[in-house]
Amino acid sequence: MKTPIIRNCLWGVLPVLLLIFAAGLAYSTEGGVVQIYKNATAPFDDETQVDAALTLSIPSVLVTERYQGGRFRTETRKDKIQRFSCSQCHNNKPVRVAQAAEIAHGEIVLNHGSEARPLSCYTCHKKDERDFLVTEQGTKIDMDHSYQMCGQCHFRQKKDWVGGAHGKRISHWAGQRVVKNCTGCHDPHSPRFKKRWPVTYSPPLSKGK
Amino acid sequence: MDPRKNKICQKPQEKDCQQTKQRGRREFLKGAARVAAFGGAAMLAGCGGSMLGSKEELSLRWKEYFKKHYSLMTQEEKDETVRRLEQLAKIKKNVNVQMSSAPPIDGVLFGYAFNVTRCEGYMECVAACVKENNLDRKSNMQYIRIFEMEHGQLTPEVGNAKFYHQVPVEDHFYMGVQCNHCQNAPCVKACPTKATWQEPDGIVVVDYDWCIGCRYCIAACPYYGRRFNWNDPVVPKDEMTKKQHYLGNRMRGRGQMEKCTFCIQRSRAGRLPACVEACPTGARVFGNLLDPDSEIRFVLKHKKVFRWKEDLGTDPKFWYFVD
Repeated sequence: MKTPIIRNCLWGVLPVLLLIFAAGLAYSTEGGVVQIYKNATAPFDDETQVDAALTLSIPSVLVTERYQGGRFRTETRKDKIQRFSCSQCHNNKPVRVAQAAEIAHGEIVLNHGSEARPLSCYTCHKKDERDFLVTEQGTKIDMDHSYQMCGQCHFRQKKDWVGGAHGKRISHWAGQRVVKNCTGCHDPHSPRFKKRWPVTYSPPLSKGK
Repeated sequence: MDPRKNKICQKPQEKDCQQTKQRGRREFLKGAARVAAFGGAAMLAGCGGSMLGSKEELSLRWKEYFKKHYSLMTQEEKDETVRRLEQLAKIKKNVNVQMSSAPPIDGVLFGYAFNVTRCEGYMECVAACVKENNLDRKSNMQYIRIFEMEHGQLTPEVGNAKFYHQVPVEDHFYMGVQCNHCQNAPCVKACPTKATWQEPDGIVVVDYDWCIGCRYCIAACPYYGRRFNWNDPVVPKDEMTKKQHYLGNRMRGRGQMEKCTFCIQRSRAGRLPACVEACPTGARVFGNLLDPDSEIRFVLKHKKVFRWKEDLGTDPKFWYFVD
């Protein structure tokens, strides 16, 4: 008497179990594009695949850090500073100039660091060698490699910048990786982006909305 | 349904039906044939001479009319079509365009990441996109929308896309929305003429000349990624981007669908899309998903990423991430 009841129950439960199993399979497998890119582990060969001119003509320097794809380059900085080199004036010799007020960095607004402990000129600039920057530990840093300077406090941003999640690559996704320097986007003296008007606006999608 | 409209529609129909019954079927057909013949003659007369343009243009347009679907063409046929379109642009609008039919690059699957923390809403990307892709200036068409959202809001549907004030605003973040280039794209499935499809490098494209303008894909797209040309796009000649691609920023016509193509004319040449290049804050990351060394792969591996409406199963190749 007992066995048929159990058998009946089993036959009822089996399809339900199968259904749950199938549904689980359908949703559990992380298929799609995520699986596609996770399966791709061979590095992409830019030189043979993309026939565009890949070496950018902009002046750049080799970054001392390595990213996941090896070495990469960053824009130069020194050629973009208006009155470089600094030692032209800062050389412990008396400077005789008519427009001294204009030349003496009056336009620089320093808005960097917390309000309680704002940075001063010599937090970053080397006092005795004005063409260079200096870290808290006293390491001399070239102006072109200012990421080393910024990275001592903003180490998270630097890590992202080296990998490619922070900052900006220049013009090509393929070929030699050349990225913007920290100072290519941020003003080092007041690094936060300014509040300003957007360059355009969006029209409403429909009249009602 | 609007009841007023219904009335207007129904009344004349009823009248017609009664009349045809009174006149009889044969007479009605005779009348119809006469009208058709007259109409055809009038159309031919109207189109004659000046309307059709020169003999060269006529032959080009004839060939253009009978061309194949882009994905069925051989590379030679694609090149020929592209040359023809260049010539037509020269004759019709007196613009020298360089149109490309560059095929997808092997081993490339494009992916895109948008940094929600970094975007400040300056809209530089939108302006660059409009210029690069020859978008209609008359209807102010834009592929990208930037939504201004309060902290805690989770979907752009509750955000404000019509902001025009100084940005960024405190306690707000900005989220850019454009075509997500889904791997499992609903718009592709919805298209009745196969005018839209996914290329091997992951870009969802439209063959504008095969689009019949039914707009099913707009209805199917959960990301508001598609745009429809209600009028012939108006682009000033000197502002037009001359470097074009058949599937990208070549000039569209009225009644055709268009969309973001990751700037196919740029990305297939190794360049970054216009929005990525224009972004002043570096909130946009673009690259090859199949390259383990690429920046996009770094973002996907090391940052907190999410995809919008991932639960729909559309499998987008457009990620959002936070710092």
